[in-house]
Amino acid sequence: MHISEHPVLKEKSNEKVFFYFNNHRLEAKKGQTVAAALMANGIRKLGVSRKLSQPRGLYCSNGRCTSCFVTINGLDHVISCTTLVENNMQVFSNNNDPEIRGEKYGN
Amino acid sequence: METDLLIIGGGPAGLHAALTADRAGARVVVADESFSLGGQLRQQTQWLSNLPGQYGYGKKRGTWVNEQLINQVGASNVQVLKKHTMIGSYLNGNIGVSDGDKTFEIQSRKNIIAPGAQEEAKVFPGWTLPGVMTAGAAQILINREKVLPGKRAVMVGSNDFSLEVARQLNSCGITVEAIVEEKNQIICSDGELVKTLENVPVYTNSTIEIVTGAGEVEHVVIQTPDGLKEVNVDLVCIANGFSPILEPFEIMNCHFVYQKELGGWLAAYNIHLQTTNPSCYIAGNAAGITDFGSILLTGEIAALSALEAMGFISSAEGTEQKSRCWRELANLESEKVLQARTEMLADYHQKHELDLPDYFMKIKGGKMYG
Ligand SMILES: Cc1cc2nc3c(=O)[nH]c(=O)nc-3n(C[C@H](O)[C@H](O)[C@H](O)COP(=O)(O)OP(=O)(O)OC[C@H]3O[C@@H](n4cnc5c(N)ncnc54)[C@H](O)[C@@H]3O)c2cc1C
Repeated sequence: MHISEHPVLKEKSNEKVFFYFNNHRLEAKKGQTVAAALMANGIRKLGVSRKLSQPRGLYCSNGRCTSCFVTINGLDHVISCTTLVENNMQVFSNNNDPEIRGEKYGN
Repeated sequence: METDLLIIGGGPAGLHAALTADRAGARVVVADESFSLGGQLRQQTQWLSNLPGQYGYGKKRGTWVNEQLINQVGASNVQVLKKHTMIGSYLNGNIGVSDGDKTFEIQSRKNIIAPGAQEEAKVFPGWTLPGVMTAGAAQILINREKVLPGKRAVMVGSNDFSLEVARQLNSCGITVEAIVEEKNQIICSDGELVKTLENVPVYTNSTIEIVTGAGEVEHVVIQTPDGLKEVNVDLVCIANGFSPILEPFEIMNCHFVYQKELGGWLAAYNIHLQTTNPSCYIAGNAAGITDFGSILLTGEIAALSALEAMGFISSAEGTEQKSRCWRELANLESEKVLQARTEMLADYHQKHELDLPDYFMKIKGGKMYG
């Protein structure tokens, strides 16, 4: 959920951004990271672990732990807590290792 | 790209160093991996105490100081590279940065590396479930992103930082259901802060037994001396302390030392904040976990040393300014951290057969050197 009345910080960002997560259209605020925008929409599971397929979400929010990997506009393993959300961004949850040998990469 | 001084990390330490060097006429580039400057100061809404007097900030919120630093950098000649991460170094000693698309080298005469600190994880069954996060992550979500990370929370750890974050979560409407501390008492030394949370149950001598939920946190079991205690929450915050970030120093082949009170392993440095790589200085939390005044002052000392080495200020002026900074730091920094820092410095100087300057021996009336 977005915080509409912050107890200390009064400045508000009212500019809306629309993006897609697993093909669902979602609303965010300009200046938010992808991870935060997803959490504001109640989405906390951003992918699954590579071996045991356990749910993963934001952990450190500093781009260090890589728990919040998603695919953005076709690029796999993007750290969603350090990437700002943009209009029409296509975000997909990270459900397995990227197919680096796939056709997409010319291999 | 070419410059006099390259600063890696645009948190308060890096920005303060940049302003110091800019004022002395050096060309400065600041590279930061984030999309905005300010580092961890961006989400610190609490009042900062222990600010060095000469900055004229008085008692201010961290977010306010952050705005001042960023405005001052904006009005200076400092060149800022946002979304640029230091990822390596070249054989010629130049630092390599990347924005994800392009990677290029920056040729500099001196570098200050101020990448800050990271939060330590804590491992228990269920620690990887979405909804378990560091206390710092929760603080970023509420204050920088303006997003609620949950409705009901458990805070693991009871140091000053965890209780401050618990208080902030509370003021945003999140109910803190429990504070879990493995030691036998609350660690936080700020009585007033503890008082603001007096309605929250505190479990000492306690640990997290397991966190469960379907796809995300729903339920937490706490192991207490009186048996198992169960709570239904959707957020678990971990405050297990900070440790200095090391990778950029590894890249620059710096030597490391271990000092528990400074946060564990860190790049070794001398009284000039110079690491074992003579072109690299260190500043901020990377030079030891400390409070805000010392973060600014280590940035200033590193900048003064680099300026002196490059000839932008005389060695007499460098000595005078650094002696003022160290005196101020010794007055502001907590006793334990200062002790660890000076021990580390004394060891460094002895090992490298370098004299400690007179002013340093006189800090605290020479008491620290017996
Ligand atoms: C999550 C978190 C929350 C905190 N909250 C509080 C708090 O509430 N109260 C408090 O008193 N202290 C807090 N601290 C301590 C905080 O570290 C200091 O208050 C202060 O911000 C440290 O300043 P700094 O300049 O040393 O580092 P930082 O503020 O961490 O800044 C370091 C900068 O370096 C950049 N960087 C790192 N690596 C690279 C690289 N390889 N290339 C380019 N750029 C890089 C980062 O993006 C960052 O902007 C917190 C620390 C953390 C980690």
